[in-house]
Amino acid sequence: MYTKLMRHILLFIGILALQLFVVDNIRFGHFIHPCVYVLYVMLLPFDSSQVKLMLNGFILGMAVDIFNGTPGLNAAATVLICYLRPYIISLITRKSELEGKNYPSINDMGLQWYVLYALLLLIVHNLTLFLLEAFSFKLFGIVLLETLVSVPVTIVIIILIVYVFRPINSK
Amino acid sequence: MYNLLVFLRKYSTTIVFALLEVLCLIMVLHSMPYQNRKMVSACNAVSGSIHSTTSNWNDYLHLKGENELLSQRNAILMSRLTDMDAENDTVITNDLYTFMPAHVINNSIDKINNYIVIDKGSADGVKPDMGVICDQGVVGKVVNVTTNFASVMSVLNSYSVISGRFTDNQYVANVVWNCLNYQYGLVRDIPSHLMIVKGDTLVTSGFSNSFPPDILVGTIESTDNDDNDAFITAKLRFTTNFSTLRHVYVVKNNFQTEIDSLCIQN
Repeated sequence: MYTKLMRHILLFIGILALQLFVVDNIRFGHFIHPCVYVLYVMLLPFDSSQVKLMLNGFILGMAVDIFNGTPGLNAAATVLICYLRPYIISLITRKSELEGKNYPSINDMGLQWYVLYALLLLIVHNLTLFLLEAFSFKLFGIVLLETLVSVPVTIVIIILIVYVFRPINSK
Repeated sequence: MYNLLVFLRKYSTTIVFALLEVLCLIMVLHSMPYQNRKMVSACNAVSGSIHSTTSNWNDYLHLKGENELLSQRNAILMSRLTDMDAENDTVITNDLYTFMPAHVINNSIDKINNYIVIDKGSADGVKPDMGVICDQGVVGKVVNVTTNFASVMSVLNSYSVISGRFTDNQYVANVVWNCLNYQYGLVRDIPSHLMIVKGDTLVTSGFSNSFPPDILVGTIESTDNDDNDAFITAKLRFTTNFSTLRHVYVVKNNFQTEIDSLCIQN
């Protein structure tokens, strides 16, 4: 129990640090803001309840917000995808596929499933985030463009991270 | 009562979701520029010290370029000084504004609403609404202040409007950002009878009290010549390079309170 909790806390701090001190300091290009911290939401176990997911997402989003000076912005988008995560998973998976599996990982679910999973979560997340940031539908074109260019970059980074930090024993 | 408990239990997830989202939205709304400055200030105090440490390390990497810029600036000032000596002995000093040098410790250029954090705060006399400029031109306006840090709404912000003036015909127009590229902005509300050509220069008008007059804003890049409109919009190239911003000056209007009291009387 404690080792599981410790693992989650370390994962939380690691992904947060990666977002704030590495990804946020790289200028990928205009309108490209990779939200790599969404990976933490993606990695939580299948059986975690929506409430648990949302609380996790809220704390994560707020932590990112505090460092960006945008209270509530990232938190709102992250809570929304945490709420939608179970529905998105059931949308793209058959019940039988989930048997005996605890965590959504590339090894268990396959690369194609994983990319689709990341894609759906990130589209909802980025669209909410950028819309809230712009706070008007006048800029909707720009918001769409931002989402369109940010999501693929984020997915590539997330897949790379997952491959780099893959546990050795689960070859 | 029992029914209420059953209801709460049944919809607990949705209720938690709604509560968290409402909480987030309240925070978002309260942190919109000019509405509630407290919230962001609290965030700045926590993250400001960490950002300033990382900025300290970054500064070493830019020392060479900075030195060049400073020496260039030095040369310009020296030449002005000699000009003045040549003219006459009585130098008219502009004591309406004072300039306080500051360091950029956090900057963004690729969001829709960009903010800059500088390392001067209320302890140094920085107040909200003060203008921020750099050697190349305008930078933005102070929106939040903590003891040691201040966050500046950059010109690259969808809420930013700057009152500009054409140098050759003295007409006043508003400068906004086009939200697309950090090098270009838009000049709105130019009367269509004005002949605006590429290369015309825009400076601050000095009407806003935040910026002193005649600070560079940008040069005209292109205009949309629609003959039917009473007003035309022009594309402007900022003279400030926002991507390499490091040294800025906070503009303090020494007679701000006096001017404000005059406005209230009216």
